[in-house]
Amino acid sequence: MERQISIRGYRVSHTDFVRFIVIASLTLSSILITAIALVRNAEAIYPQLFYFPILYATYFYPKRGIILSGICGVVYECLVYFSLFPDTLALWSSTGQAILFICVALAVAYFTNMIRVSEARYRSIFENSLLGVILFDKNRFTIRLANQQVATMLGYTVEDISRMAFSDLFFSHDLQRQFFEHLGSGQNIRNFETCFATKTGEPHWVNLSWSRIDDTIVSCSIIDINAEKRAQEIAADSSTRYQQVTESSPTGIVITEHTKILFANPAFSTFSGYGPEECLGRDIAESVLDDDKDRFGTFAGRWDIPAPVPARSEFRFITKKGEIRRAVLYFTPITRNNRPAGLVNFVDNTEWEEYRERIEQTKERRREMMRAVAHELRTPLQPVLGYLNLLLQDPQSFGITDETRQILERCAKSVDQERQIINQMLELSVLEGEETSLDYSVFSVGGMVNAVIAGGGYALKAEIAIDIPADLLIEADRQKLSYIVDVLVANGVSYSKPPKKIWITYRGSPSHPFHRLAIQDNGVGITEAQLDAIFKPEEGGSTGSSNQGFGGPGLSLAIAKKYVQLHGGYISVDSIVNIGSTFTIHIPKKRPDKANHHDT
Amino acid sequence: MIRKIVVIEDDQPILDLMGILLKKLGYEPVLIANGLDALTSVRADPPALILLDIMMSPLSGWEFLERLRTECNLREIPVILFTASPTVPERMKQLNDPRLGILQKPVTFDELRTALAQFLD
Repeated sequence: MERQISIRGYRVSHTDFVRFIVIASLTLSSILITAIALVRNAEAIYPQLFYFPILYATYFYPKRGIILSGICGVVYECLVYFSLFPDTLALWSSTGQAILFICVALAVAYFTNMIRVSEARYRSIFENSLLGVILFDKNRFTIRLANQQVATMLGYTVEDISRMAFSDLFFSHDLQRQFFEHLGSGQNIRNFETCFATKTGEPHWVNLSWSRIDDTIVSCSIIDINAEKRAQEIAADSSTRYQQVTESSPTGIVITEHTKILFANPAFSTFSGYGPEECLGRDIAESVLDDDKDRFGTFAGRWDIPAPVPARSEFRFITKKGEIRRAVLYFTPITRNNRPAGLVNFVDNTEWEEYRERIEQTKERRREMMRAVAHELRTPLQPVLGYLNLLLQDPQSFGITDETRQILERCAKSVDQERQIINQMLELSVLEGEETSLDYSVFSVGGMVNAVIAGGGYALKAEIAIDIPADLLIEADRQKLSYIVDVLVANGVSYSKPPKKIWITYRGSPSHPFHRLAIQDNGVGITEAQLDAIFKPEEGGSTGSSNQGFGGPGLSLAIAKKYVQLHGGYISVDSIVNIGSTFTIHIPKKRPDKANHHDT
Repeated sequence: MIRKIVVIEDDQPILDLMGILLKKLGYEPVLIANGLDALTSVRADPPALILLDIMMSPLSGWEFLERLRTECNLREIPVILFTASPTVPERMKQLNDPRLGILQKPVTFDELRTALAQFLD
């Protein structure tokens, strides 16, 4: 800030005040010297004295300088008239001199103004430039001039910068050295990227261009590229991390444009057998097995449609070596370089599929073997059962005594049991192979239950309480549903405690989607641990089968469970130890579609 | 009139048993151990019913049945499949033939009587 002086309420800058004193004293001195010279009639009169205040004033204040030149001209003219009148020559000469004062003042004012305008123009460019501009001495690196942009960029004030050396601006000595090498080449350099240090010591990226103004001064323009550099660094950093993630991923990751590979990770290379370079530009569709190509085409066709969830599908691929491998593909749409692209994950499930197939084959072989064994067991039983039946049919004609008949009856009973067990085993193997279909018909539930009770003679073994609406009809496979009820009632009778009691209750309601038939006993109950095992033949079938007369609860319960599942229903069990168990058959009122038969 | 029943069965003990049981039930059994001979016999003298084993060679029970059903004078003869194989019932169900019955080995005397009565009475 300039110092100011206050005179009678006017504020005048210190510089202006000093200039005013100088101009006034020079003017008064010139007038005084000229007046004395004229009064003394000195030989030489020096009107040139007036040029000092006129030139000085005009240089700094053009308009006022012209006015001053006019005043000086008039004063000089007056002095000459007063002293030398009527010397005509002297009068003409003084008039010319006064005019010359004004002309010189005008000329000086004109040129000074021109210089001012031009300087102002450059100054405004310098100060208002969006670029940072620094002028520095190329020998001593002192900064001659720096604009506000440079100061703002680095967090200094213009005064701070002006006191620094240009070489102090660099972030490191290496960068400084690089700059000196370029500067030393003597050429004008454009786009030299380097890093300055801010006032707080942070690195700040800049782009320098410089040119020499004269032998010592270099003008350097500075473009702020810090934000851009930072963005590049972040991008480079995230791409490094991305690369690390994809390279260490065990699943194949591929970036595609349509089905063309733009990027593939090492796991995909391993999967496909093609090297990382070979993968690039390949079409995924080329590697798809011919049989799967149509399906793949449909799958890939949907890639261009934005979807909220990744699309997923399994395909077989041919590797470079010609092997067939399976993979599940997950497709996610992404954007790459502002263009739509796809991120495809390959999850190799070749081994998994092989295991699954092997397990299926093993299961199928087991079923086959079970059928063969059962067939071989059944055939030789026929003569045994047949001849025993024959003998018991007409014992007297074969001369059989009562005692022998009793023995033969026991044999026949055992053979019959054996037959039942084998039949159940076979039935289960057929059910597991899912080769069974149902014969649906509509029949009365009450009628069916009564027939089962009568057929099994259960009324003689326990008290049976039936509570089923008389007009209730069901659509189901009558034979199989009878079997289910038979198994559950037989089971209840076997396990209930004297006095044995069985409740058979229909628990459906018109609005409920399932028919529910509950079979309750007052038996020993089933513990939590046993609950899981009762429908499993390999666990439940081995216990207590000898005294059942029904093959064993495990096998028959397992068959019953399968039958209910074929109907699209299920069996639930509620049991309290020493109070009793309730088995509830749930059969849907609406007949399931074929496809739903085996899904439970 | 005593009705004739042809038993086609490659297991000799069972064949013998069936002979005895059928006689006991009052039928006239014709016992044949293989399908080709049976075809000749049935053509020569059509029986009232055929008890047919399935797992036989050279002609299996299914093949025999197929040929039988193509011949117009034999087509109407009721056939009871007499088998120990667990997959037969499902296949039989698919044929949906009212002149076809099934007896799963081993059968009791009562089961045999009921099955025969169903077709012959």
